[in-house]
Amino acid sequence: MENIPESNTPAIAASGLGKRFGRHWALAHCDLEVPSGETLLIAGPNGSGKSTFLRLCAGLLKPNRGDIRVFGMDSQSERLEGRRLLTLVGHDSYLYNQLTALETLRVWANLSGSGLERSDLESLLEEVELREWSNTLVVGFSAGMKKRLTLLRTKIEQPRLVMLDEPFSALDPAGQELVEQWIRGFQQDGKTVVIASHNLPKAAPLCHRAIYLKKGQIRWSGSPSEVVSGRGGRP
Amino acid sequence: MTIPRQLVTIVRKDLLLEWRGRSRILSVVLFGVVTLLLFSFAVGPDSVMLRAAGGGFLVLALLLSSILSLSESFRVEQEQRAIEGLLLLPIDPVALYYGKTISNTLFLSLLAPILSPIALVLYSFEIGPTEFLSLIGLWVLSAAGLSAPGTLYAAMTSRLQSQDVLLPLLYFPLVTPVLMGAVKSVSLILNGDPMSQLGSWAALLTGFAVIYWSLCGLLFVNVIEEGS
Amino acid sequence: MKPISKWIHVLGITGLVLLFVGSWIGLFVAPSERFMGDVQRIMYVHVPTAWNAMLGYTFAFAFAVASLWTSRPKWDSAVTATIEVSLLLNALLLVQGSIWARATWGVWWDWDVRLTTSLIMLLLFAGVLAMRSFVQDPDRKATWTAVAAIVAYIDVPMVYFCVRWWRSLHQVQSTPETVSSSMILPLRMNAFALLFLGIWMVVYRARLETLRRRQDQVAEPARLASVGGMEDV
Repeated sequence: MENIPESNTPAIAASGLGKRFGRHWALAHCDLEVPSGETLLIAGPNGSGKSTFLRLCAGLLKPNRGDIRVFGMDSQSERLEGRRLLTLVGHDSYLYNQLTALETLRVWANLSGSGLERSDLESLLEEVELREWSNTLVVGFSAGMKKRLTLLRTKIEQPRLVMLDEPFSALDPAGQELVEQWIRGFQQDGKTVVIASHNLPKAAPLCHRAIYLKKGQIRWSGSPSEVVSGRGGRP
Repeated sequence: MTIPRQLVTIVRKDLLLEWRGRSRILSVVLFGVVTLLLFSFAVGPDSVMLRAAGGGFLVLALLLSSILSLSESFRVEQEQRAIEGLLLLPIDPVALYYGKTISNTLFLSLLAPILSPIALVLYSFEIGPTEFLSLIGLWVLSAAGLSAPGTLYAAMTSRLQSQDVLLPLLYFPLVTPVLMGAVKSVSLILNGDPMSQLGSWAALLTGFAVIYWSLCGLLFVNVIEEGS
Repeated sequence: MKPISKWIHVLGITGLVLLFVGSWIGLFVAPSERFMGDVQRIMYVHVPTAWNAMLGYTFAFAFAVASLWTSRPKWDSAVTATIEVSLLLNALLLVQGSIWARATWGVWWDWDVRLTTSLIMLLLFAGVLAMRSFVQDPDRKATWTAVAAIVAYIDVPMVYFCVRWWRSLHQVQSTPETVSSSMILPLRMNAFALLFLGIWMVVYRARLETLRRRQDQVAEPARLASVGGMEDV
């Protein structure tokens, strides 16, 4: 694991953050600072607020309490600027059934202003072993294939902050290995990585720090190895 | 990436998706034909009455078909939350709105050259090529007016279970000026325009389109963001 | 929460009194209209209803803009309350207009510009309220209500003009535009009466909406202490 590089502005700064859905507070009293270049693990049971936190960072949700800043930019008032610096790969695949893999990447590449050419996109598909399905409609893809395709957004968008919500789910061991490699690559590039995962044995060794969420609040913060041993490897 | 380029990417993406789903276009056209028939049965085989009301029936058939295409334009975005993926890239919501509105206008415009000849035959209208082109042109103008609020409301209601009820309920009263303008214009083209009123109706349609393209573009970000 | 100011009650009672007095004058004291006779007396409620319905929708538009701009819930309560009261007046307007049409033209409905526009207006704003019942999240409900109210309001002048043009191809029924001074007093009294009553209803309805929203809210849970070891979590 690399040393965390020095930087002034934290990648994420949440202060008193709270989010309510109807009568249920999905997140409350969340104070968290993620320094630039750190790899953070967010662990916690289902419904503990992990996905909510990531979506708040990306400005997809509006906080009911407090605020959250990405590289100093407010998630609501500076939403577009913040999103240029981050990539979120969540539970949804963000795909169109009637586009091919290559067409999908081209739309994403064009809209994010990446300047990637067709050959670059084909190389990316090669990297996730989807090259031979470049011209196949996404509707025919398995869940694992869709996941690999969606993960390519992290390569297309060139973000400073990568947020991964259950990155290992739906992937076979080879796919999970690939994700691990990519995360190490992001670290070497000095990117900040936030991983929300149940798969602690896979995720923990990659991270500098871990926090544990339960019932929408941060209950514990410490070293990733403690999360694994403290729960006996179970979420 | 600039807004115009993002807009073009959105339009191309939507047109490609429409092309891939072209069997659906056929279904929408058939729906339009069925609607024309139903209206005709409501009036009976009185050819004089049918000719008088034929313009109105054509516009109504197009209007009802527009609901189908509008709701579909956002269904594909919600299937796997593709629209969220676009917002995260990020795409400027303005580019997203105008891109989708342009593609909806193009798709709606496509219905006119297909349904109009059928209506002309059913109601025994005989018009020359210039009138036919005016008919299509007027429909494109109307389609622009319909697409602006239609895209806004389709985006809103696509997140709700009750879209099939709510979208028509919100959309139909709102577009009555377009409906009236289109019916009047089409009837004038089909039945003659002795007092040259076509220009004023075309101006109304243009005014409506301009106002709603601006207003809905401003309001769209409120509807598409904040977890919506 | 502050109790509703007693001046609102004063306003409401004043409105009720004015309505009673104004209607009495209109029905029994004001002179008959030269052409239409006593049928014309419906104008003394019909015109004030129309004015106040439009005024109400205009305020709803203003509150909607405020709601979008500030995202504060009190403006959403104001939008909802104002639309509801205006819808009530709008519905009354249609009934009154229908009665007038029956009495003067012999039909319950005539495609009169104002009547047709009123019906479309009713449907426009009723749609806005209908949409609210399908949206659960209060923030989204407030935003979408504001957007729909703004869009609906902008549509009204266009509806009016296009119905007028549409009707101009048919025979237009004229209605008396000039009002003699002896008729102005009950007209104005009823106009203010409905305005005061309208404000009174809006204030109460907005308060009800705010209370309902607060009832649905749950306070942020207490902050749970962080724990030392993972085994305690």
